[in-house]
Amino acid sequence: MTPTTEDDRLLLEAAQADPARFVDIYERYVDRIHTFVSRRTGNRAVAEDITSQVFEQALRTLGRFEWRGVPLAAWLYRIAANALADYWHDRGREAHEPPPEVPDADEGGELDRRIALYQQVDQLPDLQRRVIRMRFVEEKSIRDVAAALERSEGAVKQLQLRALENLRKSMGGHG
Amino acid sequence: MAERALVDRLNEVVDAIIARGDATAALRDPELATLARIAVDLRHYPSPEFKARLRVQLERRTTMTAATMAPAIREGFTTVTPYIRVPDAGLFDFLTKVFDAEETFSGHGGGGGMHREVRIGDSMLMIGEGSGTGGMMPIRPMAFHVFVKDVDATFARALSAGATSMGEPEDRHYGERSGFLADPFGNQWYVATPLRPESLAAAARAVTPVLHIEDAASYMEFVKRALGAIEEIRVPGPTGELRYGRVRVGDAAIELGEGVPMPGSFMLYVADPDAMYHQAIAAGATSVMPLSDQPYGRVGGVEDYAGNQWFFARPQAPTS
Repeated sequence: MTPTTEDDRLLLEAAQADPARFVDIYERYVDRIHTFVSRRTGNRAVAEDITSQVFEQALRTLGRFEWRGVPLAAWLYRIAANALADYWHDRGREAHEPPPEVPDADEGGELDRRIALYQQVDQLPDLQRRVIRMRFVEEKSIRDVAAALERSEGAVKQLQLRALENLRKSMGGHG
Repeated sequence: MAERALVDRLNEVVDAIIARGDATAALRDPELATLARIAVDLRHYPSPEFKARLRVQLERRTTMTAATMAPAIREGFTTVTPYIRVPDAGLFDFLTKVFDAEETFSGHGGGGGMHREVRIGDSMLMIGEGSGTGGMMPIRPMAFHVFVKDVDATFARALSAGATSMGEPEDRHYGERSGFLADPFGNQWYVATPLRPESLAAAARAVTPVLHIEDAASYMEFVKRALGAIEEIRVPGPTGELRYGRVRVGDAAIELGEGVPMPGSFMLYVADPDAMYHQAIAAGATSVMPLSDQPYGRVGGVEDYAGNQWFFARPQAPTS
């Protein structure tokens, strides 16, 4: 699933010729950038805000980006790292936080694993997927999920267990 | 019983992870450890609604960029305009009562019937009124997703104007309050108000056509080939069917979903109708109107395998 450098070059050329094609770059990298940022902020609202900034800025500077064989991910990580540095700076945290760097090979592998997991969520049966989204994205309680789905709390807990077991299986059992 | 206990133990761990990012309870429970690790990762699962909203924002910026480079093909219109064919003027009266539709043009069409162009909010519809005895544009109802300020008030107006309820207004899990109606002419209207001003729905145009189709997933691939459509949203159902999808054609959106087929007709304003016509034919569509120069511009039309008709037109430059 990791995009190749050749894919990147084609995506970039298409988007530079027609900015409407920038969404193809966005679709390919939004999960990766969101996950990269989210690991460093631990806060969903902040991660979404910074992810938005990254793609808005990438679109603004698209025309000036020169292809030199460096993956698009590296360009986007660099924009994200700068946005994160600004975020911490604005909160007076520069003395305590190491500068956010682009991912090394270990973190790259970890990001790949998480993105694969998120793609597996999309493949879950409908009710299981909705339980996962309501619990983890919307942070709803079991009671609220049960009310939204018109199911008992016990049934929702069962769906939660099944969903996580299915995700463990689809990830090769290693979680 | 053991299964039930696992369910509850896992739920306590998930509660702690959501509240504090804390999975330590699971470390003492080997049965839970791998599930807890997945749960920890899911805390960072990107919100599908956020991703779709950001995509729309980015598209708006790129559309604005493109719009400054190329003037609108026809002022006031987007690339795709639904063309509804009905027997008489009743539909126009209905749209006026329910959606405050305004007529922007009326005249006689090529077949002798009335041709009207109607604005609802920021969206245009064409209505052809006539006998409907076959021909290029037979009478066929269509479906639309319409955003309004107050769905309950619009819904009530529609009922008093003769529509039938297919579903009362309710808050829906996809971020809108919506009710479903059939008008007396067989068209369906999914009337909605966004639940939150920042929701994806708030970024949509007033009226978006909805195509119900069998095997919508395959049809989405077809419109990508035939019309150069770009996939925006794909929501699969439990068995892999396309429950809901949205594509962009030029600067307009079309929604797609699995359902009893309701083929429609569309006028597409494009810079190069010849290229679009031949591209659609190459993708498997058949001609219903060979390319020709008409008093109003160059136009050609095709019908696809699902019965939808697509007319590609470049209006004549206005003469003064």
